[in-house]
Amino acid sequence: MMRYVIVGAGIAGTTAAEEIRKRDPDGEIVLIGDEQHALYSRVLLPHYVKGKIPRERVFLKTDAWYRQQRIEYLRGERVVSFDARNNHVELESAREIPYDKLLLTTGGEPRCINGDARGVCYLQTLDDADHLCQLLGERETNDRAAVYGGGFIACEFLNIFDAVDVSVTCFHRGPWFWSQVLDQESGRLIHAKLLEHHVEVWPGTTLADMEVKEEKVVAHTTGAPCEVNMLGIGVGLARDLRWIEKGGVKTSAGVVTNRFLETSAPGVFAAGDICEYEDPFTGRQTLSGNWTAALMQGRAVGKTMAGERTEFRLVTSYATKIYDADIIFIGDTRRGLATRVEVTGRAGDGYVVQRFYDGEKLVGATLVGGNRDRKEITDTIGA
Amino acid sequence: MKIRVVVDRDLCIGAASCVTIAPETFQLNDENLAVVLDHGTEPGGRTFERTLEVNEEEYENILLGAQSCPTLAISIFKEDGTKVFPDV
Repeated sequence: MMRYVIVGAGIAGTTAAEEIRKRDPDGEIVLIGDEQHALYSRVLLPHYVKGKIPRERVFLKTDAWYRQQRIEYLRGERVVSFDARNNHVELESAREIPYDKLLLTTGGEPRCINGDARGVCYLQTLDDADHLCQLLGERETNDRAAVYGGGFIACEFLNIFDAVDVSVTCFHRGPWFWSQVLDQESGRLIHAKLLEHHVEVWPGTTLADMEVKEEKVVAHTTGAPCEVNMLGIGVGLARDLRWIEKGGVKTSAGVVTNRFLETSAPGVFAAGDICEYEDPFTGRQTLSGNWTAALMQGRAVGKTMAGERTEFRLVTSYATKIYDADIIFIGDTRRGLATRVEVTGRAGDGYVVQRFYDGEKLVGATLVGGNRDRKEITDTIGA
Repeated sequence: MKIRVVVDRDLCIGAASCVTIAPETFQLNDENLAVVLDHGTEPGGRTFERTLEVNEEEYENILLGAQSCPTLAISIFKEDGTKVFPDV
């Protein structure tokens, strides 16, 4: 009987477990996750915080589901090491679990700031969302918030604070949001949206230090100090690769895999945010940090692990909104790798598109302020 | 078989996973929200819900599309009104 061990119980790991069970009714499946909850949707957390849905609606699986599927779900457990030569993983509790096939889906952790206070919040886990709900529930008139970051999580914080009518200061390192990816026109468009919604924006500003003063958080930035009741942090994701590399698997920016999500070690696979896979459309090693990619990778790798070797093939995309404006990233938007970037539209038009080329081939795009070209671009990249 | 497919426009965030999996049934509108198609066509215009006549294979694929939605914005009902998805 085959024993499958899956490290990471998020959408990639849980979907893989489900796919394996469909194909191998007798295999032993062990799913190890460091949270206590059944699978929930991280994408639904902002909806929950804004009160659009009740807390129970974020869950995608029930406790009974794991039993029905005969998946041994080890909750609140962290894998600290593994050995790709002797095929076992070791838990923090020192328990060793042998495997025949191992899947790594440990994702990433939000980059933390130095220092902690009750008013400091992140937005990755359900526990983070519960904490933020509690803070918002206790808020008083004239309370203020700050958002540190210029990316997807920062947008979620801004949308949440806007929905509950809390005034915000937003500071970020770059000259505009996603300054590594977006051009100046796209950046201007987002900046204008922030101003429209009365956000005080401090570009080119980082957090140097913080302190707690009379239950408020004082963010000492490289600009002025910022005294707020809540400080939302969204400054990116860090992937812990040390223990994986030490176990004998090749890593780079993530766990390196081929198109079939197979790592350098036989019988070891990776999927989700931790996985740096070879994208069949570009031939490049690629990291993807979004829900749909993690789910589809979970599906593909689950099939492969159960003996039905399946290539992961998806034109990935991220879609969010800043207030009423769409922000969509499609495919490979790494500016440094593009041989040419074509920009159409101006901030004043309310819609700016960037197209990233590798030679003559379109490999990625960003759309800010609309989605008119999304289908055509996605189809072209995937052709 | 007949099924009713409904998109909750308040929950949809335009992630487009349904479009990736079942493009004959889901496409995005100008607001970047998923609308429901009947085998690639839109009789009666754009809409967030439709009753569709589907075969077993099409049904399974539409269900996969709904299951892939990160905000559970897609609901599927049987002809008698029983909700098939989401079941949580």
